[in-house]
Amino acid sequence: MRSITRRTALGGGAALLSAPAIVEKAGAQSAFDWRRFRGERIEVTVQLSPRGQLLQQAGKEFEDLTGIKLGLEVVPEQQHRQKTIVEFASGRPSFDVTEVSLHVNKRQVGKARWCADVKALVADPALTAPDFDFADFGEGMVKYATQADGRMDTLPAFADYFILYYNKELLAARNVEVPKTWDEMFEAAKRLTDASKQVHGHVGRGLKNANVVLWSSYLLGTPQRDMIDANRQLITDTPDAVWAGETYRKFLRDVSPPGSIGFNWNECQTTFMQGRAAMWVDGIGFAAPLEDRTRSRVAGKVGYALVPRGPGPEHHCALFGAGYGIPEASRKKGPAWLFIQWALSKPMQLRMLADGRGVPARASPFRNEEAIGRSHFPREFFQTLEASSKIARAGLPEIVPVTQFRDVVGTALTNTISGADVAAELKRATAEFRPVLEQSERET
Amino acid sequence: MPSGGAATLAGAPAAEAARPRRRRNYARRYAWFIVPAAVVVVAVIVFPWAFTLYVSAFDWRLGGERRWVGLANYAALFGDARFGWAMLRTLLYTALAVVFPLVLGLAAALAFHRRFPLRGLARAVFILPMMATPVAVALVWTMMFHPQLGVLNWLLTTAGLPPSMWVYSANTVIPTLVMVEVWHWTPLVMLLLLGGLAALPVDPYEAAKIDGATPWQAFRHVTLPLLMPFIVVALIIRTIDALKAFDTIYVITQGGPGSASETINIFLYLQAFAFYNMGYASAVVVVFFAIIMALAALLLWTRQRVKLA
Amino acid sequence: MRRLLERLGFGFAVLVLVSPAVLVFLWMLSLSLKTELDNTAWPPVFIPDPPTLDNYREVFARNDFLLYAWNSVVVSVSSTLLALAVGVPAGYGIAKMQAVRAAALILVARITPGLSYLIPLFLLFQWLELTGTLFPIVITHLVITVPIVVWVMISFFEGLPGELEEAALVDGATIWQAFRHVALPLARPGITVATILAFIFSWNNFVFAMVLAGRETRTLPVAVNNMLTFEQIAWGPLSAAALLVTLPVLLLTLLAQKQIVAGLTAGGVKGA
Repeated sequence: MRSITRRTALGGGAALLSAPAIVEKAGAQSAFDWRRFRGERIEVTVQLSPRGQLLQQAGKEFEDLTGIKLGLEVVPEQQHRQKTIVEFASGRPSFDVTEVSLHVNKRQVGKARWCADVKALVADPALTAPDFDFADFGEGMVKYATQADGRMDTLPAFADYFILYYNKELLAARNVEVPKTWDEMFEAAKRLTDASKQVHGHVGRGLKNANVVLWSSYLLGTPQRDMIDANRQLITDTPDAVWAGETYRKFLRDVSPPGSIGFNWNECQTTFMQGRAAMWVDGIGFAAPLEDRTRSRVAGKVGYALVPRGPGPEHHCALFGAGYGIPEASRKKGPAWLFIQWALSKPMQLRMLADGRGVPARASPFRNEEAIGRSHFPREFFQTLEASSKIARAGLPEIVPVTQFRDVVGTALTNTISGADVAAELKRATAEFRPVLEQSERET
Repeated sequence: MPSGGAATLAGAPAAEAARPRRRRNYARRYAWFIVPAAVVVVAVIVFPWAFTLYVSAFDWRLGGERRWVGLANYAALFGDARFGWAMLRTLLYTALAVVFPLVLGLAAALAFHRRFPLRGLARAVFILPMMATPVAVALVWTMMFHPQLGVLNWLLTTAGLPPSMWVYSANTVIPTLVMVEVWHWTPLVMLLLLGGLAALPVDPYEAAKIDGATPWQAFRHVTLPLLMPFIVVALIIRTIDALKAFDTIYVITQGGPGSASETINIFLYLQAFAFYNMGYASAVVVVFFAIIMALAALLLWTRQRVKLA
Repeated sequence: MRRLLERLGFGFAVLVLVSPAVLVFLWMLSLSLKTELDNTAWPPVFIPDPPTLDNYREVFARNDFLLYAWNSVVVSVSSTLLALAVGVPAGYGIAKMQAVRAAALILVARITPGLSYLIPLFLLFQWLELTGTLFPIVITHLVITVPIVVWVMISFFEGLPGELEEAALVDGATIWQAFRHVALPLARPGITVATILAFIFSWNNFVFAMVLAGRETRTLPVAVNNMLTFEQIAWGPLSAAALLVTLPVLLLTLLAQKQIVAGLTAGGVKGA
């Protein structure tokens, strides 16, 4: 494998197999010493996801490259967030690298200054490989990972966009076009519903907390777009917010399977995978299981499209994402930084994309036609990702108490599915959350 | 879990029992036997209480500063409608999760008190649920509850009944969770009452038989009154366990849909480990604990009454 | 004829009582032996055809399942042994002294929701730099095991006749010797039950390890819950893992059901 040059490897799918060799080779050319911390041991904690599993599978390559012993922990997202925050707050986190969900914890982590500024590390030629190529990271993702005070406490790792999944067979059978607006989508869903076969036109998150991001997908299509205004005040009970709430309610109540009120992504996924729902708006990471023939009945029949437009002038899809950061309290920042460089190197990011594991934060994987051509994902999938990246906008407000926000607003949305008045529910939720936000803003 | 207890809940510190006495009181010398356990109890049980009480007087969000607020957390708690609802839900859940296991457990105990072939095996199988790992079983229940693909709805529709939304509707979520709790803990009630039945004297039955009582009359006027102390013990244990229920609810619904199954324990978990409101969460612990203690005292008092009667 | 009908009715009643327990475990078994397509099929597939062991393979391939199993064994065994070491003498002492208040304190420990211990204990272990080891988990599990052992032992020692010990004391034995050589051997059935119950409830515990365990110190219930992955559901492997976790305690229950029944009935009743 050593004989493969960097250019040919990066030019083709071979990169999928030879990542460590390339990086090592590149290191040798430039005399960058990947092994300077050999014999050390680092602890890394990431969320259980296709991205986390990629690191799990490839972890050995990092150990071979650097001689650093890697302790990698992969935990479900909720437990992961809880664990890292509690450990950060205790002052003695047990990990040297952690994944940070930017859409949930960015401001909390930034405010407490729990993570080291990676800008300083990027600028240090002794610690950063010459081919690291920071400029390759997409501008939007770099901005997403940068705090208000200019510090960058995580290196962006991947983005997650909401896209529209549809069942090609069901749409074709009823001669339904892929919808371009939310209103069209609702009409399409009505036509696609076939009660006799227990097929539903739509499936989506109804579970409190998880459902807020679906509502925000509708809200992003209104002129207002966001949930807080420029003065950091809540605007979640405005006419636009209510429109988004009404849209949410009619989708979940009128064209979704009964019981949707308790559906999180996993119930939605099961239903869609069984061909029991025609359309589903959710994160891009579900493409991999949907295309897996051993568990999915719709593999090969899934269509991918941008989320529909709303009534507003702009077209947006909800953006979420994560970065990898190093705790300020870590005593092994050097080895930890080597890990992040490796985990987010060009070959690793290409692997993430080509395997359909997620949207890499780097731009170069998207330009790799050959690797994309070889992927078992349809070209339409990659096109949707690229188009989504151009219209992506934060799907959750950048505030400290995000979880509580999702809880309060999510409860209101769930109540609307059971018939509560949308405007009244949103008004109540906004009033309930306003003092929480005000207090957290005061502390900032 | 076995418990019960001849104790009044005065709550004296264990150290008192462990203090060496100069007076050569025969019974007192046994105090040394209790010392190691008392040390453990103080370390892992009393320390957390004291700490919780202390933290409850602060406004403390993980990652933020800690600010002394005195009783403000408690004041906020009593004005918090969500806490009130969580409390009501907990009480409803508890009431259902006490009554059903008691009734079913009594029926099961009466059945297993009779001799029949394969009784040992049937009894062993019957108590399996209470020994099964709650988290593992809860995950399987979750799959069975899926409204479109779960096996339970298939069984219902096959039997000609309308499908249920199980934990996927605010109206059915609590009864469904109670069903899981009943499945888990009816065996414990059965065992406690089975022990009671075995200890019943035989004479009253013979007297009843001579008087020509029907089986129902014998049950109603002989068995039930004699069994009452045991039923009350089972009632106390069930009440305490139902109030503490967390694992199953957390794994199956996490308090949803909406907040339809958000009991105090889930509310507490959210405040502490999702919203990181440590001070507020500690106040919840203190209030909840006070309520449990009050209920336990009430039940123990009831038991004294039953005993005297 | 009426007797026969009555018997049939009774047999049917027993069947109804026992079936929920059996069916849930059978369904668990069925899910764990089927492919993912069969597991989410409608109408459901009941009998795996052909049965597959892939789910079990996946459980072992994807997780450090053996490490977690070992952790669970270490935690449950140590917390049970520690609880026996302090709990058996305590039960004896409380029974002899009729120390109502000490008993009440332990009952209170049994009443307190486990969740409420977590915040302070977590901070304490963090401060002692013990997180990342099994030690904190063993210690917190004492919250479960000590009250069980003490309560079962109180009722057993209360049920023992005092004459033998008194005779020993008259012969010049110390109270420790009387306990060690007279009461303890007599209480062996009680110790068996206390051990089994403490072990099972420690094995099943989820909350403490959920918050306190790290990558290498997870116990099985936490490991299983962690299999609910984001973006992928896997009913088969999940059921396989769930079954593996709960199988040891189910077997233990079936093997020791006589002792467990004896212990639980005694524990509840004698305390009354």
